[in-house]
Amino acid sequence: MLNLLKRLFAGDNNSSRKQANDRLRLVLTHDRTATSAQLMETLKEEIIEVISRHVEIEGNPEVTFINEGRRSALDINIPLKGR
Amino acid sequence: MGEQKEGAQVIVVTSGKGGVGKTTTVANVSTSLAKMGYKIAVMDLDIGLKKLDLILGLENRVIYDIVQLIEGECTLKQALVKDKRFPELSMLPAAQTRNKDEIQPEQVKEICEQMRADFDYIFIDCPAGIEQGFRNAIIAADKAIVVTNPEISAVRDADRIIGMLESAGFTDIMLVVNRIQSEMVKKGDMLSIEDLMEHLCIELLGVVPEDKRVLISTNKGEPIILNEHSIAATAFNNIAARLTGKEIEFPTFEENSFWNKIRNLGRNLFPNK
Ligand SMILES: Nc1ncnc2c1ncn2[C@@H]1O[C@H](COP(=O)(O)OP(=O)(O)OP(=O)(O)O)[C@@H](O)[C@H]1O
Ligand SMILES: [Mg+2]
Repeated sequence: MLNLLKRLFAGDNNSSRKQANDRLRLVLTHDRTATSAQLMETLKEEIIEVISRHVEIEGNPEVTFINEGRRSALDINIPLKGR
Repeated sequence: MGEQKEGAQVIVVTSGKGGVGKTTTVANVSTSLAKMGYKIAVMDLDIGLKKLDLILGLENRVIYDIVQLIEGECTLKQALVKDKRFPELSMLPAAQTRNKDEIQPEQVKEICEQMRADFDYIFIDCPAGIEQGFRNAIIAADKAIVVTNPEISAVRDADRIIGMLESAGFTDIMLVVNRIQSEMVKKGDMLSIEDLMEHLCIELLGVVPEDKRVLISTNKGEPIILNEHSIAATAFNNIAARLTGKEIEFPTFEENSFWNKIRNLGRNLFPNK
């Protein structure tokens, strides 16, 4: 209920403030790790390639950054096909 | 860095991006502390583009500068300009007609070490940028204040600077957010303090609102903290007090919080209430 209310009142989701935050989140992660959006794509492709050499992948693999404080980590989520 | 040395605490005020309010912060926090009775020195390391003397209203009292001091043309005592309004405040002026790379970090460090014994706090006004001027400014500092504005390019540069300070061994890095406009934050058109904290993840030292009186006081060469009507003055005084270890609460920044929205909605629905 509270969540619903919160969402209702969360205001303009496309406010320039929100856009600034979204853009900053990305650019700071790339700045800090000296990576680019392009590199992420390459990484994702290569990781999937290596994994699928050994196990069968199912669904949508994801490779994203997670930030903890000023540190970043790669979050690799690759669903595997079950028998 | 980190460990407490004898004498003064040396604090560098830096930002990466230019024009965000470093010099204004140095001038006001230092006068505020001097007014409290602390012995303060400010060192202008923006060599070639000096402004601190103007903002402090001391430009007519400058005789020697830091480059002349390093080159042995004067003594430290001769180079330091005393502020008549605040006897506890001294300024070591930058040189205007020289370049930032004409002095070396080691030379700045030596001057600082000479000054430590005579002061409680030494503030270093750092130039914009990440080059030699920045390296000169951070070498002798124990702590760093990073000034930023609620604006993406300033935040990005602040983040870069924080990273560089961390690599240089700084463990005490504090954030001052300058020129915040709560009306714009409320409207969703400006990054909030919480947003900046989320991105930069360092300790918050102060929040200074946008205030037209800052320019007026700059025109006059009088620090804004002397103006009782200024909201920026309160903010700078709070920063100074926090540096001395006083705990001063931050006003709530939750302008955009859920409960405020409900309150505002109430106001909009019942405008006459
Ligand atoms: N809180 C404020 N409200 C309104 N104006 C401000 C505020 N803080 C600073 N300013 C104005 O912003 C301008 C830049 O400030 P200041 O010179 O302190 O920045 P700086 O970071 O030292 O710049 P530089 O990188 O050139 O050394 C000045 O004109 C000053 O009057
Ligand atoms: Mg300046």
